[in-house]
Amino acid sequence: MKSFTFTPINSSNSCFPKTHFPRVPIFHLFSKIKPFSYNTHVSRRAHTLPFTINCKLKSSQDIKNKGNKSVSQKIVLSEASPPPLTENDGANGGSENVPVSSKKKGGMAKKLSRKILQILSNLPLAIGEMFAVAALMALGTLIDQGEAPDFYFQKYPEDHPVFGFFTWRWILALGFDHMFSSPIFLGVLALLGASLMACTYTNQLPLIKTSRRWTFLHSPEAIRKQEFSESLPRASIQDVGTVLMGAGYEVFLKGPCLYAFKGLAGRLAPVGVHIALLLIMAGGTLSAAGSFKGSVTVPQGLNFVVGDVLGPTGFLSFPTEAFNTEIHVNRFYMDYYDSGEVSQFHTDLSILDMDGKEVMRKTISVNDPLRYDGITIYQTDWSISALQILKDNEGPYNLAMAPLKINGDKKLFGTFLPVGDINSSDVKGISMLARDLQSIVLYDMEGKFVGVRRPNSKLPININGTEIVIVDAIGSSGLDLKTDPGVPLVYAGFGALMLTTCISFLSHSQVWALQDGTTAIIGGKTNRAKLEFSEEMNRLLDKIPEIVESSLSKQVDSISG
Amino acid sequence: MIFSTLEHILTHISFSVVLILISIHLIALFLVNEIVDLYDSSNKGMTITFFCLTGLLITRWVFSGHLPFSDLYESLIFMSWNFSIFYMVPCLKKYKNNYLNKIITPSIIFTQGFATSGILTKMHQFVILVPALQSHWLMMHVSTMILGYATLLCGSLLSVAILVITFRELIQIIDINKNLHFLNESFSFAEIKYMNKRSNFLQKTSFFSSSRNYYRYQFTQQLDRWGYRIISLGFIFLTIGIISGAVWANEAWGSYWNWDPKETWAFITWTIFAIYLHTRKNKKLGDVNSSVVASMGFLIIWICYLGINLLGIGLHSYGSFTSN
Repeated sequence: MKSFTFTPINSSNSCFPKTHFPRVPIFHLFSKIKPFSYNTHVSRRAHTLPFTINCKLKSSQDIKNKGNKSVSQKIVLSEASPPPLTENDGANGGSENVPVSSKKKGGMAKKLSRKILQILSNLPLAIGEMFAVAALMALGTLIDQGEAPDFYFQKYPEDHPVFGFFTWRWILALGFDHMFSSPIFLGVLALLGASLMACTYTNQLPLIKTSRRWTFLHSPEAIRKQEFSESLPRASIQDVGTVLMGAGYEVFLKGPCLYAFKGLAGRLAPVGVHIALLLIMAGGTLSAAGSFKGSVTVPQGLNFVVGDVLGPTGFLSFPTEAFNTEIHVNRFYMDYYDSGEVSQFHTDLSILDMDGKEVMRKTISVNDPLRYDGITIYQTDWSISALQILKDNEGPYNLAMAPLKINGDKKLFGTFLPVGDINSSDVKGISMLARDLQSIVLYDMEGKFVGVRRPNSKLPININGTEIVIVDAIGSSGLDLKTDPGVPLVYAGFGALMLTTCISFLSHSQVWALQDGTTAIIGGKTNRAKLEFSEEMNRLLDKIPEIVESSLSKQVDSISG
Repeated sequence: MIFSTLEHILTHISFSVVLILISIHLIALFLVNEIVDLYDSSNKGMTITFFCLTGLLITRWVFSGHLPFSDLYESLIFMSWNFSIFYMVPCLKKYKNNYLNKIITPSIIFTQGFATSGILTKMHQFVILVPALQSHWLMMHVSTMILGYATLLCGSLLSVAILVITFRELIQIIDINKNLHFLNESFSFAEIKYMNKRSNFLQKTSFFSSSRNYYRYQFTQQLDRWGYRIISLGFIFLTIGIISGAVWANEAWGSYWNWDPKETWAFITWTIFAIYLHTRKNKKLGDVNSSVVASMGFLIIWICYLGINLLGIGLHSYGSFTSN
C-alpha cells in the first residue's frame, strides 16, 4: 500500500521535471481531497486501497474547467459517504409511477410493473411519442382553435374533405378544435411523461452508480480497443498523469495502471435534464388544475373584489383568504411616443383589506405586474369609459363612451351629446370620437368635422351655438388576475433545465494508460466531443517527455518499491 | 438621413464582401492549388463582414433607441451577424474547419439577401415598440432564440450535407443526372451544390475505389461529429431562449405558456432536436436516421422563424411581413 502524491505543476510551463516525480510530504488541506476506495474491475482484491491523491493545479486549463470540476468533486464526495444521495432521488422518482401496484400483490404485479417499465423506457417508443407530440402540436396550429362548431362545418365540409378524408367530423370527434386540452394530446403528453420517468428510473439513475466506479484496464488489448489509442515508447505513465492533470483531468494511478477522466458532469447532467422536465410537467399540471383566472375592465376611480373576478380552472382550485381583498383603481394613464402612438399604459392600484385600509399600493404597467399574497394582477388592456364635459359652462356631465372598434391596436371610442329636444323622434347632436386619451375629435349635428380638443386644455369649442369644454377623458384599465400554484415548481424546473442542458454539453472523456516495460500504452474515449478529443489527446501526448535510459530504471524502481 | 446612408453603406459592403467570398470558395473548388492564399483572404473578408454587420446593428440601436431585435428585418441582420461569428470562432481557435465555412458563407448571403431584398423594404424604418415588448427580456429572449436558430441551422445543414452524400452514393448507381437534378431542385442551396462538388473532388483525388470509400466515410463521420456538437450547442441556446420567453410571458401576459403558434412551433423545433439528440444515443438508429431528423429540423426552423410570421397570427405577429 502506497500513497502517490501529485504536486502542483504548471502545465503551461513546457519544461517538466524529467521523469523525476517531486514529492511533497504534506499538502494544504483542500476539501476535495478525500481518501476513497476503488472498485477495481479486473483485479480480484476485495480489500480497498486507500489512496490519497491531491490534485491541485494552476494551469489556465484548470481555470477553464472549474465549473466542470466542482461538479465532479461533488460526486467524489458522495462516493466517500456510503449511502449516496442519488439513491434517494431514485426512490422518489420511481415511486410515482411504478410500485403502487406491486405493494398489493406479490410477484405477479412486480413482474408486470417491471415489464411496463421496460416497455416505457424503450428509446424508440420515446422517440415515437416525441414525434407524435410534435405532429399534434403542428396540427393544433394548422387548425383554428377554439371556434364554434359552425366554423368547422364551413371550413372542413363533408363534400370537400381535406386530403380526401379530413372533415369536421374528425376534428370534433377527436377534439382537435381545442387541441391543447384534448384528451388525445394530453394522453400522449402523459405517456411521454411516463416514459421519461421510466427511463430516468431504469437507465439514468443506475448510470450515476456505474459512472462513479473508476475502472482500471490491465491489458494492453483492452486499451488499444478504445476509440483513441497510442503507444508511446520510452514514456512513463506518471508523466502521462501529470500532463493529463494539467489538462484538467482527474487522474488515478495504481501500480502500472492509470485512469483519468474529465467532464463526468456532462455524463450525469442528462439525468438532471429529465428530472427538470418532469418538474416542469408536474408544475404545468398543477397550474392547469389549480389556478384561478379572470379579467376585468375597471374605470378609473372604482373598486372591485378579487374573488368576484377570479374563476377556477380545475378541480384543485381552492379559494384563499386573499380573495376577499378589494382593489381600488386610483388612476389610469398612458404614455405616448412623440409620434402620438401609445408607448405604455399604467394603472395606479391600491389594495384594501377587509376594513378598507390600504395594504399596498403600486403602479402597474405591461411587463410590470403586481403580486400580492399569491394573486398577480397584470395590465393587459385599456379602454375609454367616459368623457367629462362642460356644456355652456354647466356640468360637468359624464358622457359614457362606447367602443366602436376594438380589434387590433387601433381602437376607436365614441359618444353622442344630444342637442335640442331629446324626446323628439329625430334626435340630433354632437358626436365625439377618440382613439386614445390624448385627443377628442368633434363632429357637428350634420356630421361635419369641427375640430380636435385635448382634455384638460380648457379650450372651448363652439358647435352650432353650443359651447363645449372637454374637461377630462376617463380611461378604464383592463386587468388580468390570476393565481397559479404551479409557477414555483415550473420555475424551479426551468432553472434546473437551463443549468443541466448547459452542463450536458460537456463531454465525458476517459483515458486509460498502462506501463508496459518502457512503453506507455494510452487509450481513451469520450462520449460527445469526439473530434476535439483526439485533437486534444494528440496535443497532450506531444508534451510527454521521452525518458532517458538511466532515469527510467529509477522510475521503475520507485513504482515497484 | 445620416443613418440611412450609413445603413446603406454598411449593408452593401457586407453583402458584396460575402458575394466575393462565395466566388472565392467556388474558385477554390476548381483551382485547388491556389487554395491557401484564397482561404487567407476569405478569413479577412469575413472579418470585414463581421464589422460591417456589427456597425449596422449598433447604428440601428443608437438611432432607434432600443435593441435591434424588434422586427424581422433586424432579426435577420442579427442572424447573419451570428453566422459571421460562427465563421470567425473556429478561425480564431485555429481549427481547420473548411466545410463549416462553406456552409456559413452562403447562409449569410441568403439571410442578408433576404433581409435587404424588396420584400422587406417597408420594415427598414424603425418600428416603435409596443408596450408588451418594452422589457429587458426582449434582449435575452430574442437574442438567444436567434442565436439558437442560427446555430441549429448550421448544424442541420451539415446533416443535410451528410444525407446528400449518402444518398448520392445510393442513387448514383441508378441515375446520376436525375439525382443531381432532384437535389438541386429540392434543396437549391449553394452549399449543397458545393457538397456535391466536394465529394466529386474527393472522388477525383482518390485513385483507388477503396480509398475513395474510406475518404468518404471519414468525411461524413467528421461532418456528423461536427453537426452533433453544433446542434448540441444550438439546443442549449434554444432551451434558454424558450425558457426566457416563457418567463417573460409570465410577466407580461400572465401565463408562461399560451400555446401561441410561434411558441408551439418553437417547442416543435425543440422536440425535433431533442429527438435528434436521442437518436444519437442509439447505435441501431444510425447516422442516416439522425441526419434525416436534423434535416427535418432544418425545415421546421424556417417554418417557425418565417412561416408563422408569414401567417401573422398569434401574439408574436409584430414580426410579420406585412406590417399593418
